[in-house]
Amino acid sequence: MKKKALAFAAMACSVAMLLSACGGSNNASTTADGGANIIYAYNSEPQNPLIPSNTNETGGGKPGDLLFSRLVSFDKDGNASNEVAESITPNDDATQYTIKLKSGWKFTDGTPVTAESFTKAWSYAANAKNAQKASSFFSTIKGYDELQSDNLKGTEQLSGLKVVDDSTFTVDLNQSDSAFPIKVGYLAFAPLPESFYKDPKAFGEAPVGNGPYKFKSWDHNKQIELVKNTDYKGNEDVKNDGVTFKVYTDDTAAYRDIQSNNGALDVMESVPASFTKTFKSDKKVQPYSEAGSVIQTFTIPSTLEHFKNDEEGQLRREAISMAIDRDQIIDKVLNGNAIAATDFTSPKTPGYSDSLTGSDNLKFNASKAKELWAKADAISKYTGTLTFSYNADGGAKPIYDAVVNQLKKNLGIDAATNPIPTFQEFRDAVTNRQMTGAFRTGWQPDYPSAENYLWQLYSTAAADGKGSNDGDYKNSAFDVLCLQAAAAKDTDSANKLYQQAQEILLKDLPAIPLYYSNASGVASLSVKSGFGMDWQNLPTYTEMSKK
Amino acid sequence: MGKYLLRRILQMIPVVLGTTLLVYALVFLLPGDPVKAMFGDKPINEAVAAQIRAEYHLDQPFIVQYFIYLKNALTLDFGNTFAGQPVLDEITRAFPVTIKLGLMAFVFEAIFGVTFGIISGLKKGKWYDTVILIVSLLLISVPTFVTGFVLQYLLGIQWSILPVTAGADPTFLDLLMPAMVLGSVSMAYIIRLTRAEISSNIAEDYVRTARAKGMSNGQVMLRHVLRNSLIPVVTYLGQDIGALMGGAMITEQIFNIHGIGFLTYQSILKGEANLVVSIVTLLMLIFVVCNLVVDLLYAALDPRIRYA
Repeated sequence: MKKKALAFAAMACSVAMLLSACGGSNNASTTADGGANIIYAYNSEPQNPLIPSNTNETGGGKPGDLLFSRLVSFDKDGNASNEVAESITPNDDATQYTIKLKSGWKFTDGTPVTAESFTKAWSYAANAKNAQKASSFFSTIKGYDELQSDNLKGTEQLSGLKVVDDSTFTVDLNQSDSAFPIKVGYLAFAPLPESFYKDPKAFGEAPVGNGPYKFKSWDHNKQIELVKNTDYKGNEDVKNDGVTFKVYTDDTAAYRDIQSNNGALDVMESVPASFTKTFKSDKKVQPYSEAGSVIQTFTIPSTLEHFKNDEEGQLRREAISMAIDRDQIIDKVLNGNAIAATDFTSPKTPGYSDSLTGSDNLKFNASKAKELWAKADAISKYTGTLTFSYNADGGAKPIYDAVVNQLKKNLGIDAATNPIPTFQEFRDAVTNRQMTGAFRTGWQPDYPSAENYLWQLYSTAAADGKGSNDGDYKNSAFDVLCLQAAAAKDTDSANKLYQQAQEILLKDLPAIPLYYSNASGVASLSVKSGFGMDWQNLPTYTEMSKK
Repeated sequence: MGKYLLRRILQMIPVVLGTTLLVYALVFLLPGDPVKAMFGDKPINEAVAAQIRAEYHLDQPFIVQYFIYLKNALTLDFGNTFAGQPVLDEITRAFPVTIKLGLMAFVFEAIFGVTFGIISGLKKGKWYDTVILIVSLLLISVPTFVTGFVLQYLLGIQWSILPVTAGADPTFLDLLMPAMVLGSVSMAYIIRLTRAEISSNIAEDYVRTARAKGMSNGQVMLRHVLRNSLIPVVTYLGQDIGALMGGAMITEQIFNIHGIGFLTYQSILKGEANLVVSIVTLLMLIFVVCNLVVDLLYAALDPRIRYA
């Protein structure tokens, strides 16, 4: 009998222990209150503190974009206009910029936005001691290299930044850069208030910005609440009272919440794989699917035998590109949620054209493809299997299965896929240059400029591990045109030069463009107006309203 | 008894050390560099990467990393995640949700499993026995994610009876559907286990003897049949509570529950050794304790079992 009692007591104790541990989670409730015009948006937990220059993924980027106003802002289509800046004036060869700020801008803690708010923030970001993940964005500013050494305190400033007065500063660049006035619209270039430097850690948990929204709370792994910043007088016309970013374990769960219109979630910027076919006709949601800014390509390393940047290699690259029926893949695999690629940027990039010389190389033409491949074989015979590597955790399998099948069928060559389990392992193999065949590449722009798609991905300066030129493509004619574009007086003439540079790429095909992923997403039926998606493939948060 | 308990508790020490070392080694052996992955497909600034490696001791050899973790763990400092959050905070945020869900599923499967099992076992061959058998077979053979999606669509979206997802800070009602889904497979097993035990025990000699002595039917059932039948059921339930506390990755994902299962999955993907090891150690402790409780319960159910 005694044993029984003891066993029972043990059980009772453990149950009590478990129950008491549950108690903690009951106090806070997160239900939507009917009155306020708050938009509930889909998100993932930010992988870094909410510091603009330490944010390099969308979980933190989405709230960050709404919390901080930069020198320029972008409209839905990616056109830049001055926001905090009054003017950004280049010198003759675009190596020095004089930036004047508008007066009256304030952080939400009441302190003014001055020239120093920018220069100190940029120096902090560039200084390697501070381990900011977006630091390489500042590499074109003079003095960056000095801030990458070992013995830094973290407070050293970029020598290329000079404060003239409270509302003026100058930027000296290492080289001409006509895209600089667009670049400064990227989140990492946000100004920071003086309070940041006292305690960056606390700031990362509760940021103080100057954007259209003000930080309210961050409940980790649950949600980030932003409320409308009533002092904001920038370019955005804010139509709601706040945006709450909610963390979801799964996009299907999020889609279900939007379908049920239960107040838990209002908008998401992706569509789960199982709904890509049906969401456009789903009566329970508001769908959106239009041309987007993300380009999907695959890269064939320039060092790969038979595919080098010579006559044989070019013939083979063209043949492969022409043997792929992009429209069929889009139609059958992607359910129409993409557009066949015609260049190396995207339809949402200012200066985009779908009829560049050489864009025929991206059009399906099986007989021409065979012909070109035979010509290449005449130079040197290709035997072996062309492999296509991709990360298996990102849903790329059906696309590469289709690519491989089309190449086998249309070109008669031996091709195979090589799935690599995780994105991490995949990127490791790419950065260590261990790829022995083609591999998946894609680009989501940081700022809406052809420069971001071209210079970062295909210039010699970005090759050999110094940037994102993963295929180590090198062509001095391309580099020269990009540099000329970088030194151009205005955006239009720069874009003309970037188009010429692209025509070289369309001939050499360092990567083979497949398609532009659509910006697709859904909003709940409670959102009455303003739902659309911008050049980042993100919802137009500021414009949405439930009233 | 006390000696036995002490011995069992002391046994836990080598188990904890062994598990942490093993799990730490496994995470360390995961392919891919977590620091490089932080930069995505953007250029990696090596100076910054070196700073981050130094901060998380990732530049040290494996065994040094492990001892640093162990040393700090003794002072209840389990380190930080790559996002800069203390590991302890992450766990204390996720664990209450998992406990709540796990307990609800446990109560659900225990009550319904045993009840239906008894009904079925006592009235073998009746139409409701057949129905219970078919339903339990169905639950066992259909994967959880199918049950989950179907129930979510029907109860949540079509009929709007229960909340579609649980979300952060779930209430009892939010977790009702997930708990049912999570507990359904185990419930089916318990039904079958209880039914088989009862129907075999009911034909035992000691039951006939008890009846011959003139014991009432209720007394016979409660004291002899049920008590003996429940021993394997209790074993199963004890194992299951440990499994439930480990979080249910699939159920948590379907219903947007921010519990231990989802946290573990995320931290493995990111190569967060500190977080993975801390969670696994905690789960292992729970498992060991549950097993101990089950062993003690045996003694209560079966007088022949004694611990010295």
